[in-house]
Amino acid sequence: MQAKLERLPFGVGQLTPKYLTFVMGMLVLLAIGLLSYGRQLSEGHIITGLRDIGSMGGATWGLYIVFLIYFVGVSFAGITIAAMIRLLDVHYLKPISRIAELITVTALILAGLCILPDLGQPLRGITNLFRYARPQSPFFGTFTLVVSGYFFASLVYLYLASRPDAATCAQVPSRLQGLHRLWAAGYRGTPAEQHRRKVASFWLAIAILPLLVTAHSTLGFVFGLQVGRPGWHSALQAPGFVVMAGVSGVGLVILVAALFRRLYGAETRLDDRIFRWLGNLLMVLVLAYLYFMVVEWLTGAYEGHQHELKLTKALLGGDFASTYWLAVICLVVPLAILFGQWVRNQFSLTQLVVAGALVNVAAIAKRYLLVVPSQTHGTLLPYGTGSYSPTSVEYAVVLGVIALGCLIFAIFVKVFPVIDLTDGAE
Amino acid sequence: MPRYGMVIDLDRCTGCRACMAACKVENNTPEGSFWMYVFRFEEGEYPNTRIWFMPRPCMHCDNAPCAKVCPVGARYKREDGIVATDWDRCIGCRYCEVACPYSVNYFNWRDPEENQYVNWKDPELEALSGGVIPPYKNPDLDRPCGPEKRHIAGASHVEGVIEKCTFCVHRVEAGKTTACAANCPEHAIIFGDLDDPASEPSQKLQRKSSFRLLEEAGTHPRVQYVGGTPHGHGWRQIQPAGKRS
Repeated sequence: MQAKLERLPFGVGQLTPKYLTFVMGMLVLLAIGLLSYGRQLSEGHIITGLRDIGSMGGATWGLYIVFLIYFVGVSFAGITIAAMIRLLDVHYLKPISRIAELITVTALILAGLCILPDLGQPLRGITNLFRYARPQSPFFGTFTLVVSGYFFASLVYLYLASRPDAATCAQVPSRLQGLHRLWAAGYRGTPAEQHRRKVASFWLAIAILPLLVTAHSTLGFVFGLQVGRPGWHSALQAPGFVVMAGVSGVGLVILVAALFRRLYGAETRLDDRIFRWLGNLLMVLVLAYLYFMVVEWLTGAYEGHQHELKLTKALLGGDFASTYWLAVICLVVPLAILFGQWVRNQFSLTQLVVAGALVNVAAIAKRYLLVVPSQTHGTLLPYGTGSYSPTSVEYAVVLGVIALGCLIFAIFVKVFPVIDLTDGAE
Repeated sequence: MPRYGMVIDLDRCTGCRACMAACKVENNTPEGSFWMYVFRFEEGEYPNTRIWFMPRPCMHCDNAPCAKVCPVGARYKREDGIVATDWDRCIGCRYCEVACPYSVNYFNWRDPEENQYVNWKDPELEALSGGVIPPYKNPDLDRPCGPEKRHIAGASHVEGVIEKCTFCVHRVEAGKTTACAANCPEHAIIFGDLDDPASEPSQKLQRKSSFRLLEEAGTHPRVQYVGGTPHGHGWRQIQPAGKRS
């Protein structure tokens, strides 16, 4: 057990004007999002940019699905890092694990919320998805493995890992003492308790790792198993989802961790070693994803199948070229940065943060390029080319969902230390 | 049990789109949604051009990608070969729509009553009609279908729900043919029991060589085409039908 603290660490329980302004801003965004969703509920999906594929020349899945798969992808990070700390014994990473786990839990909540505005009958969705669940549908995996299993496992993991810190905080007199005492639930840090907790989280980590691959793969199968959509039907889809999930997730962990390091002056807890390790992991993942992209591109272009070719042309030089090349740049530039840092053994947090931000732009762009072009430019019957541009309603709802994620983070950091207090070596 | 299917004779089709109109009248589909759609194609450069036509209903595939992906079983395959949509169970995720290689699904993007071609709530019209039940609410059509008694066809459409060609299941169960087949002036659309070798569509298939759309997708469509060829690279669609602007 750690030495007694004088006061709660990392600004827990202290509200500053800056913090309140941030929360107010997010609340406003959330309110706008809710209002827009209300409008969509009363007027119907006609106020979105979505339309039927085919004779109506539209895309029937749009921004909501793009962000659904983006958020599920982002959730990769927490559990990977938590499991790696446990299984590979990289103890110096421990201070970052709670940030990462919190990203997982928050992102999965947001992903679940992104499904709702996409549904034409959201209330039926909540009941029927359970009442009439069909394991044959690739969506089944999204709802069971991802939204339920993965979410629950992450939540338990987050809780298990946070109990010692809750016990430490519970010794500090504050308004939150009661909550921390409840959170610790009698944890005292005796050797027997520590051992039990270690064993429990070890086995949970072992259970979570295959869940991670299968959960992200099922989301890939939602697209990869569809023979009717050029650009989707590919065996590369599932592994591609796992890798892209890693790219965006690790990128976001870097961003958020750097933010908290700055906010709380936690240079000693979140030291450069952690960020270097994250940077190297990100480099490997980006490299793997670029390889997948080249394979995908070559298959589409070389094969010369008319529908695949039309889609590849639209991506590389047609209607989606600007987004496509933005995504490529946002992957290649971070790769150059990260490779430069690794090969010269230099480190700059600013550069790493830039890389983390860029790969997330690339992730959103790539998700968009996966979802939309195959619908507007991928009809197998000669309907003619369609188009899709999101309306303000869709943007507002998505921004509202993101604002909610920021709020979850903002509330968490004020009731609990977001950076692990105990050392990995215990 | 009969297993229904459709044979479309492209040698006979003149692209008049009467089937599209018949479908609209029968099923009261909202604006912009075409359960039956007729392609008009053009090939070549002037003066060496050729035009042909191809009606496109739902293919009612035996290996239907839409029924496979439905997360709640609202889209399902009936024993008589019809691929049906349960309007009371559908959650509106539109997964069937992205899964369909033929793009035959239409979503109710807004309240279907507001999306009819005529606004029956217009006071001027109400004064004339004397408040009769509008056709899209025809109670005769609104009854559960088949032994499974599910809401898969009829007149009143549901907002936020997917729908598509039903093979006029409400007519077929009453012993009639589909609206498109009944109204085709050239008798190009023939509907019937494909399991019965004496039925008209089976006879047609025996006489003429046939093809099915996107055979390579492995969907086993129950709609077959005779006379003519599948569309190739050079064909471009002309005069597409859409929403009134």
